[in-house]
Amino acid sequence: MAEQSSKPKIICQHISKTFIQKGTQRVHVLEDINLEVRDNEFLVILGPGQCGKSTLLRIIAGLETPSEGEVRLDGAVIKKPGPDRGLVFQTYMLFAWRTVIGNVEMGPKLRGVGKEERRKIAQHYIDLVGLKGFEKHFPHQLSGGMKQRVGIARAFANNPEVMLLDEPYGQLDAQTRIFMEKEIERIWQTDKRTVIFVTNNIDEAIYLGDRIVTLKNKLPGVMDAVYPIDLPRPREHTDMDFLKLRQTITDASELVL
Amino acid sequence: MVDRSVANEIIVQTKERKPFSIMRLITNEYFLYGVSLVAFFSIWHYVAATKLLGKSLATPYEVVLELIRMTHLKLAGKTLWGHIWASAHRILIGFSLGALIGVPLGLFMALNRYVNAFVKPVFDLFKPMPPIAWISIAILWFGIGEPSKVFIIFIGSLVPCLLNAYNGIRIIDEELYDVVRVLGGNRWHEIFQVSFPAALPALFAGLQISLSIAWTCVLAAELVSARSGMGWIIIRGMKLTKPELVLGGMAIIAIVAWGTSLAIAGLEKLLCPWRRSIRDL
Repeated sequence: MAEQSSKPKIICQHISKTFIQKGTQRVHVLEDINLEVRDNEFLVILGPGQCGKSTLLRIIAGLETPSEGEVRLDGAVIKKPGPDRGLVFQTYMLFAWRTVIGNVEMGPKLRGVGKEERRKIAQHYIDLVGLKGFEKHFPHQLSGGMKQRVGIARAFANNPEVMLLDEPYGQLDAQTRIFMEKEIERIWQTDKRTVIFVTNNIDEAIYLGDRIVTLKNKLPGVMDAVYPIDLPRPREHTDMDFLKLRQTITDASELVL
Repeated sequence: MVDRSVANEIIVQTKERKPFSIMRLITNEYFLYGVSLVAFFSIWHYVAATKLLGKSLATPYEVVLELIRMTHLKLAGKTLWGHIWASAHRILIGFSLGALIGVPLGLFMALNRYVNAFVKPVFDLFKPMPPIAWISIAILWFGIGEPSKVFIIFIGSLVPCLLNAYNGIRIIDEELYDVVRVLGGNRWHEIFQVSFPAALPALFAGLQISLSIAWTCVLAAELVSARSGMGWIIIRGMKLTKPELVLGGMAIIAIVAWGTSLAIAGLEKLLCPWRRSIRDL
């Protein structure tokens, strides 16, 4: 895409991760992941459940440290979480005790931004995700799709350079899911930044990604293939090229997606 | 458009107003509430007035009369109000002490594993002991005055306050802390923006349990040794064979305990606005 520079934003070098459970049991989750994400690229990591893709995202977020290898953001090694990376959770993880606007303004609040200023930022992103009029609602009063809009707005309001989305639509019904996919594309087009989007849904991956990275079926997760997608946006699920690509990816992976 | 929708509503309403019938009346919830209460007081009155169960039952009317008499007649130097205050006063001090020590201690134990490792063994030793079991030793230590009663209430209130504060923080989803960390927050932010607000509802549940235990404790303490309070009134009624005094005392305790519980619930509503609409559903 035209906005993308060739300079990599994020580089994962030889990432491996082994968890130690119950003191002795070792679970090898990721093996030698090498990945480059370009500036303003929409990268999708596609893989089935239990293949380590969420762990990879948490490593990039800085919530886990890799057992081997390192992740660099703009050249600097990532050691801990930071506001330069925003994370959207599969289970929303909203603060039940805060209103919609209270949730969205949390990032700026933690960074010490003044009340008036952070309200303005929060309002901007609430409008962007289409929640105008729901500012004073509490999370339990919202539907699943609306909750995830809050999650997305909260991550965006902190103005991160990289957005990490961990199966954000995994808990939504099919209709809401397709609608939300259109929404995240619209939001990304309006407010461009680097996105890493983890999913187990192949249609979602082709609809959204500039590039798809697939992971293999079982643990430890290893990279399978990379598919660049040059279909024009917005894409159609029933497009000939869309379906052809879908077939190619399905054939290449040994799994039913 | 507006006219039509209003017209529709009127039609719906007239349709819903069904003619009166016995079946509809006896299936009405509020009607049944009324029947239930009237039946209870009627049977009570009948059994008491006919001395069906001997002389130790007063009619509801006698109970109310006795209570009204007590509001201006002094018993052991205090009117009814004085005795209510005597019990409430003990609870206020004991319960406040229990909450002021139990809640912060529970929070500290949940947030810091060294504090937990230090306090928990001793706490677990005392946890299963019913607070009433402390009465005798409390009297040996503090005498039969106010301190021994306050001490029992304090012990009784401390345990649920501590446990609920502790569990309230322990059940928080770890990923909520991840949210704060990813947004750029530090450990203090995790505690003040997640731990405390998330634990607040559990904390209030603990206060409610503590309060009801506090009432049990004050009564037990007053039954054993006291010259004032609602527990003493009940004992007094028993010694004088005045069932109307015993029953009246019981009714007053129920009402006051209900009132204090409502006060805590009100405070929770004020401090946990996100819980309001869940409850009111």
